[in-house]
Amino acid sequence: MNGPACDHGDGCITCGDTAIPLTVRKVDVERGLALCVDDGGQSESVQTELVGSVTPGDSLLVHAGTALQRLGP
Amino acid sequence: MKYVDEFRDPELGRALSGEILSLVEPGRHYKVMEVCGGHTHSIYKYGVDDLLPDNVELVHGPGCPVCVIPMGRVDDGISIAENDGVIFTCFGDMMRVPGSRGSLLEAKASGADVRMVYSPLDALRIAKSNPDRPVVFFAIGFETTAPSTALTLKRARAEGVENFSCMCNHVTIVPPLRALLESPDLRLDGFIGPGHVATVVGARPFEFIPADYGKPVVISGFEPLDLLQSVQMIMRQLAGGRCEVENQYTRVVPYEGNLRALEVMSEVFELRPHFEWRGLGFISHSALRLSDAYAELDAERRFDVPGVRVADPKACQCGEVLKGVIKPWECKVFGTACTPERPIGTCMVSPEGACAAFYNYGRYAREREVV
Repeated sequence: MNGPACDHGDGCITCGDTAIPLTVRKVDVERGLALCVDDGGQSESVQTELVGSVTPGDSLLVHAGTALQRLGP
Repeated sequence: MKYVDEFRDPELGRALSGEILSLVEPGRHYKVMEVCGGHTHSIYKYGVDDLLPDNVELVHGPGCPVCVIPMGRVDDGISIAENDGVIFTCFGDMMRVPGSRGSLLEAKASGADVRMVYSPLDALRIAKSNPDRPVVFFAIGFETTAPSTALTLKRARAEGVENFSCMCNHVTIVPPLRALLESPDLRLDGFIGPGHVATVVGARPFEFIPADYGKPVVISGFEPLDLLQSVQMIMRQLAGGRCEVENQYTRVVPYEGNLRALEVMSEVFELRPHFEWRGLGFISHSALRLSDAYAELDAERRFDVPGVRVADPKACQCGEVLKGVIKPWECKVFGTACTPERPIGTCMVSPEGACAAFYNYGRYAREREVV
């Protein structure tokens, strides 16, 4: 697990229905996964099936390891 | 930070605060419910309620996925975790929710292999690395989280991960809202709608609120300016005699939601006939279970679970807090017997719970007022 940890001081973003903006770095088309990073440089593996095909540089709204929407143009 | 800094601008906040003041009728008391626990957390963290006129009250709703899990479900989870060889996985906050025999964290201390995960995908990874042990994911959350669980279950099947299963506690947002609107002890003027649930389900499921109950709904983002603007939009509707569903969070929420997510959910899940909510009791068709097509991945069918209903502790008033009938500090055990370190009720467990959010951020301001 290399994503942001459950931070009790500032809320557990997974339990709290909070979604965060992440940027796609690498794409594994075959497995429907993308390696994404946040502004702080933390990376995590994200399931991308719900937002269609993604390319490096895309901004995604991610919750519990799954992209729910695309962000921005 | 993009998508964050521009929604925390103090000048814009002051302007919105002034506009809200100009829209409210003096002498009228407004009660607006923020449905989502993420909103409750933001409101206390940024002091959004301090920027509103005194006669605009924010009432905290039932949208904290951890807070609504009843004690019996925690007991069921622990009984699965105690099976020989089982690795039991769940989100961090869920580990501290008390059941009648203690929490999952305490079960871990007693020897059960309970592990915190950040996503269902992490739980699946644990299953793949431990092929000789059953790995169970304790799924919680509203429609925001359910698609992630659904995709992971589809992935488990596609990759042939036979030792993985899911104890499903996913809940849906509309039935408790309807129950609240039918509740005689609560008078609300409008709703701040849950932004990330709406990312999945869209705005349409909330149309019954203006249509059947005559109350405005504004789907909102989670930054302080999002929340202020949503209150302003509700006040505009009330001042103009309108009630409809509006979308403040257009940068994320399409009106129709994410159709692919809804499709995946309906493939993997089906509605339970009824489900018990902490403090709210049994609500019909308010939760999800695995469909027959995914029966082999259902932990409740793989393991024996007691399924016993356990009453909430007598001292705990989470039910009234979740319905917005009382404020966190009005509960008899708030901040004394019940604290985030030793919670009695679920609202004190998750930082999105109204009690924990108020304990962490709001109580200092209130103490100053009292002094």
